[in-house]
Amino acid sequence: MQQRVDTPSSLAWRRLRKNPGAMIGLFTLVIMIVMAVAAPLITPFEPETQILEYSVKPAGFRGKILYKANPADPSTPTIVAVRSFEVRGDSVHYIDPAGEPYRVAVDRLQGAGPEEWSAEPMFLLGTDRFGRDMFTRLVYGMRVSLTVGLISQSIALVIGIFLGSLAGFFRGWVDDVVMWLVNVVWSFPTLLLVVAFSVILGKGYWQTFVAIGISSWVDIARIVRGQFFSIREQEYIEATRAMGYGSWRIMFRHMLPNAAGPIVVLATAGFATAIIAESSLSFIGLGVQPPTPSWGQMIKDGYGYIALGTNWGMTLFPSLAMAIGVIALNLFGDGLRDALDPKTSQR
Amino acid sequence: MSSATRFGSLLLTILSPRKLGYTLLVLVGVIVITFFIRPPGDPARVLLGQRADSASVEALREQLGLNQPLPVQIGVYMKNLVKGDLGRSIATNRPVAETILERLPATAILAGSSIAIATILGILLGVLASWKANSWIDTLTMGTSLLGISLPAFVVGLLFVLVFGVVLEWFPNSGYLDRGAEYLVLPMITLAIRPLSIIARITRSSMLDVLGQDYVRTARAKGLSYTKVFLKHALRNALNPVVTTVSAWFAGLLAGTYFIEFIFNWPGIGLAAFNAIEKLDYPMIQGTVLLTAVVFVLTNIVADALYSILDPKVRVK
Repeated sequence: MQQRVDTPSSLAWRRLRKNPGAMIGLFTLVIMIVMAVAAPLITPFEPETQILEYSVKPAGFRGKILYKANPADPSTPTIVAVRSFEVRGDSVHYIDPAGEPYRVAVDRLQGAGPEEWSAEPMFLLGTDRFGRDMFTRLVYGMRVSLTVGLISQSIALVIGIFLGSLAGFFRGWVDDVVMWLVNVVWSFPTLLLVVAFSVILGKGYWQTFVAIGISSWVDIARIVRGQFFSIREQEYIEATRAMGYGSWRIMFRHMLPNAAGPIVVLATAGFATAIIAESSLSFIGLGVQPPTPSWGQMIKDGYGYIALGTNWGMTLFPSLAMAIGVIALNLFGDGLRDALDPKTSQR
Repeated sequence: MSSATRFGSLLLTILSPRKLGYTLLVLVGVIVITFFIRPPGDPARVLLGQRADSASVEALREQLGLNQPLPVQIGVYMKNLVKGDLGRSIATNRPVAETILERLPATAILAGSSIAIATILGILLGVLASWKANSWIDTLTMGTSLLGISLPAFVVGLLFVLVFGVVLEWFPNSGYLDRGAEYLVLPMITLAIRPLSIIARITRSSMLDVLGQDYVRTARAKGLSYTKVFLKHALRNALNPVVTTVSAWFAGLLAGTYFIEFIFNWPGIGLAAFNAIEKLDYPMIQGTVLLTAVVFVLTNIVADALYSILDPKVRVK
């Protein structure tokens, strides 16, 4: 049997486990990730499915629908909103939500019996102005938010770690150039820089990742540089030099792992900032474009109704979703910082 | 140190040639980035639309100076900036500088009052939380401030409009000061929430940090009361990091006004920028972004200087 060794990460994990805030945050994040991955399984509709007759309905609304066969695309039947229906012979007579009577042949419907071609789904969080299910869009919006956070932070990490290591390891003019770049980028508030890069790159999915990524590497570069300054003076680095290792090997094999703690903490915080930045972008009409669901867009769609004093849910639910996600990330990040901080470990 | 010498050394720190030179170098970088803020592809084509004939596109390219090589364009852009010429808005054909100057007071009032409220309340709450560390006051303050830093400004704004504007009808939710002072309340508070939360958190952790220092223990050991040690020894030293935060947040606040001014229909620079973004009116976007960055650079210099005066340890380096 292997003997149990207290590695720094196992120590940190044990400290993290004792922090209720961090664990609540982690738990929430795991649930959100599972929901985002399993989105098609847990949502009743496609995010783009429109039932115009059922537009702007409140949370908990139930509406009868019929599934009509769609010859053009058999996998996505046409959805017809109905008030009531009955089967007479080989056709179905129904009354639409406006009160008009209609008739459709049973074999034009999708499925074998009423339990297959009709349904009365509940719109858990209501519908938006195109009659799209808010819950479905919220879950798919979570997908977008988490993806944006993940990819943009990866971009930021690559740039930040690379430039920060260069500056911290080589110092001298390399450091001067990197720090100049850091100070230039630092001069723009992050959100403004993201907006600026979005204007430069144009609207769209990948443009959003890149705009957020290249705006948020500065903090990481600064921290890596600072860490490298102190790690560089350690004896084990001197030992690697004495053994004749090359600069790149020393930097990325021996110094970087020892700077990992603060980088992880910053990346967690950056993830939250990226989610906020993405929804801010789509709120002002840049960023992820319709019909791809995004929390910022949903909030903007609901904004018009707030002034009227109706349908608050359209703004409230996506706002809450974002708040929960960001709070979870912040709680987890705070816990991580405490767990990784060597000052607290001595106690 | 008397206040006169303090001010003198503040000026000296700001005006040291090395610092000034470096700041100029950073500003050059800022201007180059700003120069590139324009829609992808041919700006002239974007502005005139896909159906415009190539002759008018060419004419506009000539007029905007797009046919010259990039370095020349950047040079011209910088030369114009020095003269105070930020270009002409494409949407209104007015000089951008004119629009910005006209809109500056509205934004200044909003941002200034917000940062004032955020600083006063933030320090107060942070001190309170550290005074009663781990009590329910502490938990409540830190919990609320976590919410405050977790919500983007535009979401807070919309929720405030909903609660205080629509449901309770305490304050008007759209409009400017010329209609009454109550129009300032909601946008000001909304904008203040995030810096307030951050200042409160930093004040608290800085206070707790200082309270754990040896000299505080010494002060206690020599028989001073907790209140006296807390206020005279700890608070003064704990406020240094707060100064840097406040100044760093001032420019961030200006970015926040983009959203707040749109939500509350507040006729400042942010609203102008917001409208410019919708129309891809890039000279206007460039002007507002540049202004924000320059304000940020300047406040940072002042903050650095203030910091070195407040904290002699920094000066020694």
